[in-house]
Amino acid sequence: MRILRSVRHKSCADGSFMKEFLLSDPIPEGFFTYLENFGEVEALPNLGEGFYKFEKPDWFSIKGFVGDTAVEVRFKKEVMKLTVDFLYLLFTSYREGAVDLSRVKQREEAVGRRVQEHLYGHT
Amino acid sequence: MAENPPIIYLNNAATTWPKPPGVVEAVQESLALPIFGSGRTTGSQGEDYISLAREAVAGLLSVDPPEHVVFTQNATDSLNLLIQGFLAGCDAGCHVLTTALDHNAVLRPLHELERQGRIRLTILPFAEDGTVHPDTVEAAITPETRLMVTTHGSNVLGSVQDVAGIGEILHDHGVYFIVDGAQTAGHIPIDLQALPVDAYAFTGHKALFGIAGTGGFYLQDPESIAPIRYGGTGTDSFSLFQPRDMPERFEAGTHNTPGLAALAAGVNYIQSIGLAAITEKADRQTAFLIRELKSEPNITIHNTHPALPIISLEIQGIENDDVGFILARAYGIIARTGLHCAPLVHRVIDGGVGSVRLSLSWFTTDEECRTAAKAIKEIAKNANPSISSP
Repeated sequence: MRILRSVRHKSCADGSFMKEFLLSDPIPEGFFTYLENFGEVEALPNLGEGFYKFEKPDWFSIKGFVGDTAVEVRFKKEVMKLTVDFLYLLFTSYREGAVDLSRVKQREEAVGRRVQEHLYGHT
Repeated sequence: MAENPPIIYLNNAATTWPKPPGVVEAVQESLALPIFGSGRTTGSQGEDYISLAREAVAGLLSVDPPEHVVFTQNATDSLNLLIQGFLAGCDAGCHVLTTALDHNAVLRPLHELERQGRIRLTILPFAEDGTVHPDTVEAAITPETRLMVTTHGSNVLGSVQDVAGIGEILHDHGVYFIVDGAQTAGHIPIDLQALPVDAYAFTGHKALFGIAGTGGFYLQDPESIAPIRYGGTGTDSFSLFQPRDMPERFEAGTHNTPGLAALAAGVNYIQSIGLAAITEKADRQTAFLIRELKSEPNITIHNTHPALPIISLEIQGIENDDVGFILARAYGIIARTGLHCAPLVHRVIDGGVGSVRLSLSWFTTDEECRTAAKAIKEIAKNANPSISSP
């Protein structure tokens, strides 16, 4: 699954920056389970085919529906340049079934250090 | 989600959609025909859309003569011109009133003037019914009060101000009165010859069914304010100063002809239906939605008796932005979430969190209202107890 392009964006009242992304394929339910490896996932499974919201504090949040081909992402604006590549990686790295997380986790750690340093001046 | 559901558009307080068929045709026609505007083109083969729009708006708002309707880009543009115009020459002694109901189109120009030290600003609170009472206005007037600017209809609560009562008090004290009619023009009958207001700002792209980039204002006394834009008008061109005639005094530069063609068609469409029918349908549909939504205990409605077809709500246990997203993606319902550019209202009604806003137009169907009510109630039912983990 890949991000094809962003179709809408706006600055939000809470200071975040929202982008809506179109995806190459409908989102499988397993994707949100996969995201649990990187942050907190909440769900309202009875709405549509299931509404999910992924939160990675200080980085971004992703909300979307299973089976949909669009997601809404809210970036913490100050570190968006540091985290946006990782967002793309989350989508391209997902595979159905068992996934080797080591490469993505390494990347997460590296980006996390830079985010911490940028926001709080230390790692 | 194999297929996107058909769109149910409930964000008409921002911009109306769809437009009447005649509006789209008028834009096409205006682009196909040569431009014919007084003083700018010889010949008479085309329509004078600028005059048509001016006469249409003047007719709807009961303005006489029509030349007291001035065209701008939108209501925000109008309000900036009017506020700057009425306060030209003001120093730190000038006192201005506005309200906590107002939109940033009013609040930001006034706060900027306050920051520059040119005015002292008082923001009046609103009562539980979403209006600022004339008594509250009177109590705030001082000998230095020069101007009051207020919204006619709240874009969050759907309440309509008693501008007749407020205007009488202001004029008794020699205070100018600007009314922001962005939410009321096209929704309710407005008689500007009868109302005690000095200026009334409107926008084309909301209930007047025009397109973005058009708006304007009515000015009772052209001598009451100074123009702040100067330039070509196609008239009296030997003069190196702005003409004093209306509307050229305030309309410099080339008009948005396709936009004004759309505005004329939109207003003519409203006149063909009649405001009584528009109001009756809006009241009925708004009452239906409120009655339905009130039956779900998780839903809070911020004003259960709006005078305009605007409903602001929150659902316990789920963020407003999530409600908006779910409505759009799962049900095809376009609402608006957030502060609606009226931050001070939200400080009072929801602690600054914002709301989910539904706003209807003449083109909203009863079936769409039923579908929207069902969808929102479904979200509310699923939002409580709090969101679960997958």
